[in-house]
Amino acid sequence: MAVLTRKTPAAGAAPSALDTLRPVTTPELIELQLRPAGLLPRALAFLLDFGLRTGVLVFASTALTSLEGFGQGIALLLWFVLEWFYPVLFEVLGKGATPGKRALGLKVLHDDGTPVAWGPSLTRNLLRAADFLPFMYLFGALSCLLHSEFRRLGDIVAGTVVVYAEKNTGLPRIPEVEPIAPAAPLDRATQRALIGFAERANTLTEARREELAELLPHLGNTYGTQPANRLLGLANYLIGRRA
Amino acid sequence: MKQEQFEALHAADWQLFEDWLADRQLSRKNRKEPPFPLHEAALRYRRICQQLALARDRDYALATLDRLHNLARRGHDELYGARRSFGRRTWDYVTAGFAIDVRAQWRWVLASFLLLFGPMLIAFIVVQIWPDVAYLVMSPHDVAGMEAMYSDANQHLGRTRDAGTDFGMFGHYIFNNISIAFRCFAGGMTAGILTVFSLLFNGLFIGIAHSRVVLAGFGDNFHSFVVGHGTFELGAIVLAGATGMQLGAALLAPGLLSRAAALRTTARRLIGTVCGMAVMLFIAALLEAFWSPLRLPLPWKLGFGTCMLIIVMTYFIFAGRRRGS
Repeated sequence: MAVLTRKTPAAGAAPSALDTLRPVTTPELIELQLRPAGLLPRALAFLLDFGLRTGVLVFASTALTSLEGFGQGIALLLWFVLEWFYPVLFEVLGKGATPGKRALGLKVLHDDGTPVAWGPSLTRNLLRAADFLPFMYLFGALSCLLHSEFRRLGDIVAGTVVVYAEKNTGLPRIPEVEPIAPAAPLDRATQRALIGFAERANTLTEARREELAELLPHLGNTYGTQPANRLLGLANYLIGRRA
Repeated sequence: MKQEQFEALHAADWQLFEDWLADRQLSRKNRKEPPFPLHEAALRYRRICQQLALARDRDYALATLDRLHNLARRGHDELYGARRSFGRRTWDYVTAGFAIDVRAQWRWVLASFLLLFGPMLIAFIVVQIWPDVAYLVMSPHDVAGMEAMYSDANQHLGRTRDAGTDFGMFGHYIFNNISIAFRCFAGGMTAGILTVFSLLFNGLFIGIAHSRVVLAGFGDNFHSFVVGHGTFELGAIVLAGATGMQLGAALLAPGLLSRAAALRTTARRLIGTVCGMAVMLFIAALLEAFWSPLRLPLPWKLGFGTCMLIIVMTYFIFAGRRRGS
């Protein structure tokens, strides 16, 4: 099994020094990539959640004022639950995301990639009190900025990580052109670059396509015209469309 | 095998798996007939994993890899997200686990107990001798308010006159006390400084208030009020202190682990205790709002309070013994 012995850069992985991917190895011995979310999307998600919570609370308090003491008690209980348990309930029961996180396409996972459970979710949300210190989530923000996976204190203690939720990706097809066999065998990196170029071809403008193709003169420019088309032909050959 | 063939060969499988994943996202009653029997899920997931590994090794197109990676990640979520029933775990924890956890950290509980009750006792004695020492910690206005709360003229014990109804006070106790206890735990992240400070300060404050109310001649009223819920409330504060200090200790002296790992394992060990502590405060709030303010004969109140103390101590000493630790 070559898979076990040789490490191949996986889907979308740029050199690790540049990217913030967190690789997780599953029991099936494949690597999943988690893409931790940084301070800004997380802060925005927090603001959305905060707005939502405040909205509910203000609405409920106005509705409850007619009940005086009893209503005041209900409002305080509601405040308590919203303050401490709103994120926990949504994270555990709502596939790892509060409404704010969902709006920004984020979710909470354990750092081994499994969905967050009650204990860690509770831990990370109780420790928001520590992240809040000394004021306005300063510790949390600093921790988020300094940590290589953008974790706040609560995440470090709970062993959780906030990542971008995976989206459903369709299959952009590689445009069909006449396959062209390369004159000499191509190395893996070149093959990868060619296929990557071909599958993005449809999303690029004509001019940009040509411009990119000119970066590979030894492959693209053999016939002088339309180097992009020739690269597409090579890519078609590489993925197995052979006449 | 070339990419096109590979895709053509497995496309149907991938689609089936995707349909299954989509079906799992629906709530239980909205689910249609699953595309394949449930027992095949693990096998199909492993196959996807293997195909992903192959596709990576063969440098297939990014989009194909992305799609497989996506399927594998979502499958991983489904397969490894299964959890034991929540109700069962809760029941186990309430009947035994909590007491076992608390016994396992008895040194910390003892330390926290001393940090709370030490200052309380000292403050009580000092204020008995020099009543004015109280003003070092509390303002004269607060002291007067405290005395008024327990005066014979007050209809509800332990409350200012303009306080709300029983239920209003219940909400207030829940919001206030449990939030403070949670912060006491989280405060452990400041190397335990906040936690220890909060224990010392609460001890001093309670001791002084107690002493001043006794000096004002309302000692019976005060005892009648606090004895019912005191066990739960003070017990929970002690536990909050114990958990916070352990978090602080993990940060200061992680031992052989890295700091992050020490914090993680400590928090995993403590989170149950924190939940138990919150439940204790919930019970305390119930008692404090609905039972403690009642003006009943002092012996009844004392008897009830003693029962609570015995029940709580019995629970912590004996519950879960048979299960071992």
